[in-house]
Amino acid sequence: MNISRPDHLMDRRSFLKKGMHTGALIVSFPVWKHFAREDTDSLLAAEAGLPGGLDKDGLRKLLEVCLSRGGEFAEVYYERTVENSISLDEDKISAATRGLDMGVGFRVLQGEKTGFAFSDDLDFARLKEAAETAALIASGGAKQKPENLTALSPPSYYLVKVSPDTITPKAKAELLIKANAVARAFDKRITQVGVSFYDINKKILIANSEGLYVEDSQTLTSLGAGCAALEGQQRSRGYESKSGSYGYEHFDIKLAEGMARTAAEMAIRNLPAEDAPAGEFPIVIAKGYGGIFFHEAIGHSLEGDGIRKKTSCFWDKLGQPIATSVVTLADDGTYRGAWGAVNVDDEGCVGQNTVLIDKGVCAAFIQDKLNARLMKMKPTGNGRRESYKFPPYPRMTNTYLLPGEARPEDIVKSVDKGLYIAKIGGGNVQPTTGRFVFSVTEGYMIEGGKVTKPLKGIMLMGSGQDVLKNISIVGNDLLVIGGGSCGKEGQSKPVGFGNPTLKVDKITVGGKKA
Amino acid sequence: MDIKKTGEEVVKKAIRYGAEEAEAVIENVKEFNVNVRKGDIETLQKSVSKGLGLRVFIKKQLGFSYTSDLSPEALDETIKKTVELAGITEAKPWQGLPDFGPQPLAELDLYDAEMARVPDEKKIAIARDVERIAMAQDKRITNTEGGSFSNTEREAGLFNSKGIAYVFKESRCSFGAYVIAGEGDAMQGGGWSSSKRFFKELAAVEGVAKTAAQKAIEKLGARPVETKKVPVVFDRYAAPSFWMGLLFALDGDSVFRKTTFMTEMLEKSVASPLVTITDNPTMPRFVGSVPFDGEGNVTRKNTILDKGILKMFLYDSQTARKAGVKVNTMARRYGYQSGPSAGFLCLVAENGKDEPATLFKDIKEGLLVTGMRGLGTDATTGAFSTGCSGFWIVDGARAFPVDGVTLGGTTLDILKAIDKVANDLDLRGSLNSPSFRVTEITVGGKKA
Repeated sequence: MNISRPDHLMDRRSFLKKGMHTGALIVSFPVWKHFAREDTDSLLAAEAGLPGGLDKDGLRKLLEVCLSRGGEFAEVYYERTVENSISLDEDKISAATRGLDMGVGFRVLQGEKTGFAFSDDLDFARLKEAAETAALIASGGAKQKPENLTALSPPSYYLVKVSPDTITPKAKAELLIKANAVARAFDKRITQVGVSFYDINKKILIANSEGLYVEDSQTLTSLGAGCAALEGQQRSRGYESKSGSYGYEHFDIKLAEGMARTAAEMAIRNLPAEDAPAGEFPIVIAKGYGGIFFHEAIGHSLEGDGIRKKTSCFWDKLGQPIATSVVTLADDGTYRGAWGAVNVDDEGCVGQNTVLIDKGVCAAFIQDKLNARLMKMKPTGNGRRESYKFPPYPRMTNTYLLPGEARPEDIVKSVDKGLYIAKIGGGNVQPTTGRFVFSVTEGYMIEGGKVTKPLKGIMLMGSGQDVLKNISIVGNDLLVIGGGSCGKEGQSKPVGFGNPTLKVDKITVGGKKA
Repeated sequence: MDIKKTGEEVVKKAIRYGAEEAEAVIENVKEFNVNVRKGDIETLQKSVSKGLGLRVFIKKQLGFSYTSDLSPEALDETIKKTVELAGITEAKPWQGLPDFGPQPLAELDLYDAEMARVPDEKKIAIARDVERIAMAQDKRITNTEGGSFSNTEREAGLFNSKGIAYVFKESRCSFGAYVIAGEGDAMQGGGWSSSKRFFKELAAVEGVAKTAAQKAIEKLGARPVETKKVPVVFDRYAAPSFWMGLLFALDGDSVFRKTTFMTEMLEKSVASPLVTITDNPTMPRFVGSVPFDGEGNVTRKNTILDKGILKMFLYDSQTARKAGVKVNTMARRYGYQSGPSAGFLCLVAENGKDEPATLFKDIKEGLLVTGMRGLGTDATTGAFSTGCSGFWIVDGARAFPVDGVTLGGTTLDILKAIDKVANDLDLRGSLNSPSFRVTEITVGGKKA
């Protein structure tokens, strides 16, 4: 299980390349348009409304087919995703792309067993075949009929007024051109600038044999800038992005220019970076990026599948202290505008805010329907899947550490010799042992309570169990950020994360200097 | 669906709609996947899917789209949109289709016609058996993530307006188990698998099961060590991650942009003379083989590092044209949803002369790395850092399992310090390497 964030210096092709190599990719976020006829886009208007066979009658028929062999639960998941990207590179708008993916996934549960099939052909006969395949997980005759479908209207946590899909690529290109100019002008040692705008709109419909019928329109939008700097043989990178369930109204030229400046500053600041030390050190993690740390080091180990199967190191820890008392950790699908916000999850459960660790005590697990039912717990709105091609698993939404009371500057002051972790690029964990690693993309020495020289090649390593017991101070400056992509079971899913500035008393730092 | 007919029509239509050059990739995929846990089926998945990716160029401007809907109306819209998108981008003189035209394809024998006739029950039984046998290996195996079997049949085509019209079929099947040893905070997981083009060539179930169990058991009691500089042996199954990290730094476009520490290194000695790295996707019946690359160039064996000398960077035809060098058949494509980009297709680090045991024999105190967490090399700075697990070596033998340590250094220093390469290459997939030894790397652990 791993997470990665793009640094936006790469173009979209490279995102994919990098993503695939590391097992996590940012661009595969399915998205979609709204079902309603408000679509002005011709590609979608060609198919205004639902495909034939997915009206309530058709859905009921398909659910019946799913249950025809004796399954206990059946679900139909329809998705139509449109994604757009435009990127600037080498001073030119270099690529504009568009993608459409649509299909239906069928899931049948019996006991602990899952039957799954999908079809990207929406012809009713093909859909029926897929439903029959999923039904095969059970054997025998139908034991029950699907309930009548009742529509669910969940509250909305998305901040989308203007769908980015309705904005012309030319208008988006203007943001990129302006950002590029600012980064180029920042310093002549900036040698490369990449800026990209990405949006994805995913329209889903979920109907199940318990009578649930729900639609959702999920838009994610991201603007990012990356810079590379070169001076002699010293090389560095800088990046900044804004990503969330935002409409186009959240993006303008001023934002793009500010982002470019931040990315350029980071690259120049890191040009003189020295080799990182190796060994055990106290660290201070800056607000925002430390959320990746909690996602990876603790979050994955609290997911219901590993807990139920007792393959996670936290499986028997509910109600027990697992962290210091300053640690309160939430997984919050209702965080407005966040990259991992969900009105409903991919099983149709409404988004929830779940406190996973309450003042150091393990308070809840991250659940989907299947694992919650088998564990006699409640689903927590965390049943998520990459697309109609995959069954859902318990997955995080927006995972963040709640703020404490310390001032960030006082936290730094409390460290005599340690590291200041400004940005984390990505990491991975083995949930059975809780062992994780993170690669740090921006980090500094702390000497005598002050942040000093920049470092390169920092790797953080440890186990979730140990780190939770070494968090000593939590700041008052929570920042939740987006743009991350979490990989699990071969599926990639957008997740948000966040944290206030915090101190970990000791952690293993992998560097060159012994 | 007739892939050839659809592909050729889409290319023709793109030209009719205003594209100067066009290229379509199409795939049709059939998949089966079963996971068994504690003897019971956990998930059973079957699917058939398809998709098309279209790249067009107008006046050296690029547009790209993909669609999973291949109905005539959807295809027509996709073609129109892609031509429009090309109009929005700016011209770059190197953009356009590759210079080469159609070439004869090698017959690599990558499709197992028998696979479709293997009954699901047989596949499920393999998944069940591998888990059961792995669980039964040792009392210390306490839990399981399960056994699995999956197979894929794929028909893929690449078509362009320079006359390329390739279609090929491939199959792949694999099975394996992942089990857990120990209890509580001492739990350790381990797994193993076999992956082949032909069903009949899969490894014996028993061997895979035993290896999976052994991988979990041998890690029991793993602990960090104190920070120190020691000789480090990379096991043949951990080594591929190391090479993969290195190859990112050899991306031709990054070299052109001077954003990699390898920029000035062509034809220079960057590694020990014991190191030869190739890209070789041409081995018949092999899982890592493919007859043509992501833009229709017939694949061949490329030597990237020859006895420590850097012989080439990785290019697709656009980045090669930009850099003014020859294209080297390493355009990679990840499904139909993206265009091609430079990348290795099937990495093979070549065997050395040393027997595996001789890599340890004279180590007084050192580390055997069996798992890397991270790729190590930072392509920009050349700094090397990764988390890892493995075994502590004392007086030439495994003393105890290690986890929670890091490796830190500089990639070029590490490459130069490789003093032994074993003759134990095991070709398993798209990343293959023998074990090798580095004279000294900083292992980061408990105390500073």
